[in-house]
Amino acid sequence: MPRLRALTTSFRHQAMHFLSDPGWLIPNIIAPFVITLVVLLMYREVTGPVVLYAVLGGGMMGMWGNTLYASGFSIQSERWWGTIEAVLAVPSSLIWIIAGRTIWNALIGVVNGLLILLIAMVAFQVPLDIADPVMFLVAFFLTLMSLASLGLLFSSAFVLTRQAGVLTNGLEFPIYVGTGCLFPIVLLPGWAHPLSLVLAPTWGIDAIREAAGYNPQGIWGTVMPAVGQGAFPFDLAIMALLALAYLAAAMVLFKVVDDKARRTGELARV
Amino acid sequence: MNTDFAQSARVFWSSAVIAKKALFAWLRPSLWLMQLLTMSLFQIAMFWYIAQYVNPERSLDYVIVGNAMQSIAYVAVFAVTNITGEEKEAGTLPGILVTPANRFAMFVGKAMFQVLNSIATVAVAFVYAIFVFGLDISHLNLVTLAVVIGITSFATVGFGLMLSSLGFYLRTSMIVANIFLFIGLLFCGVNFPVSVLPEFLQPISYAIPMTYGTDAARHAVEGMELSDPVMLGLLGSELLVAAVAILVGYFMMLGFERLARRKGTLEMF
Repeated sequence: MPRLRALTTSFRHQAMHFLSDPGWLIPNIIAPFVITLVVLLMYREVTGPVVLYAVLGGGMMGMWGNTLYASGFSIQSERWWGTIEAVLAVPSSLIWIIAGRTIWNALIGVVNGLLILLIAMVAFQVPLDIADPVMFLVAFFLTLMSLASLGLLFSSAFVLTRQAGVLTNGLEFPIYVGTGCLFPIVLLPGWAHPLSLVLAPTWGIDAIREAAGYNPQGIWGTVMPAVGQGAFPFDLAIMALLALAYLAAAMVLFKVVDDKARRTGELARV
Repeated sequence: MNTDFAQSARVFWSSAVIAKKALFAWLRPSLWLMQLLTMSLFQIAMFWYIAQYVNPERSLDYVIVGNAMQSIAYVAVFAVTNITGEEKEAGTLPGILVTPANRFAMFVGKAMFQVLNSIATVAVAFVYAIFVFGLDISHLNLVTLAVVIGITSFATVGFGLMLSSLGFYLRTSMIVANIFLFIGLLFCGVNFPVSVLPEFLQPISYAIPMTYGTDAARHAVEGMELSDPVMLGLLGSELLVAAVAILVGYFMMLGFERLARRKGTLEMF
């Protein structure tokens, strides 16, 4: 019960922070938004459902951009404000506090993702014909949860370093490339496929495209040909398993990081 | 007059040296190196794969050169724009502003290390462009390309300084830095020609030095001489835009400083 209280209070605290300065949504959304526009302009000679491919990828990038920045800066900001030691000194475990923030950030990630889809639809007249809206929403929600658990995993590392901002910027493009948001991962070299496949969002975007009804060169038809196309439930199952694995790893790492931060006494170094 | 110049030169040099020392006091060199070696790689890779997927028949050199040049933005735009914001967050901005040192020399000096950093970033990006992404260099004019990279680094840092002046007044310069970090991808002819943009947006492209830099770099890769009138025109325009940006930035800095003093927002972040 105290854990749940820590989680809900931290969620509310993060919401208040966000509402007091919503301009922070801009850094989170600008990269995915601009990249989606760039890609739509690169796709200008192509017509038909292929444009939907780019728009869905852009939505996924929007969610990831938000999760990554929010995970990195929720710790870094505490350092700047001089409050990080107080946060670590409270009896609640740090993971529940960060988890509350991550869940709020994930919810804002939905706004990011939907905003990108909406702008693309209006500005570029992209028809968002979703083949299976229910499955689409399920895949969208589960992808968001998997991104949140990945964000939680990265957060543990961000506690240790005062260079979280550098890492945050550095992790943006590798995840876009690795997950194949805007191109099929079969184009990546063979040695990179396992790296892509251990990223839950890779399965998430595959599931979202399957549900939307346009997934040429999807994972199951190319990198994992054994099952064949249309393996939507497998996408969701693997994504959920990976998200649980991230969560378990994050719980262990937060314990290690908490202990190390207390021993070295360098937690508050800006 | 000579004493003023000597003092400004001293402020310029000490600001440049302190900025470099401060960077490495905060950022581990290994992390700086990792950033230098990975940023451009993943940016080029991203658009290289997208271009391959969209149209496998077309040459990818346009996208490779554009993104190799644009990788400068992390250093020349993002880091430089944050100069004033970081002083504010560190609580050192008022301390700096009460000194009688020449503001222009101080802030330009602070950005100078980022010119070297930018040159190194683009050089690494071109190594990837050639050896990883297979950029065709059969006609490359190396001297022209080196000059283009040098001038573009100076010009883009100048543009970043103009944006940095906003940090005097805004609560954080991070938002502006993030916007301009990526906006070049859209406006500067990095992945598609500027002519593809709607006409009313094209003047924005020509107000950013990088637009001329990417165009000049493509000509250099195709073998154009430095003395070619087209090249001279591009580099001249780039320097002119950068000079105007620095000048506008300086006046913005003075104006925002006055405004921040009057409203008491100099330390607000």
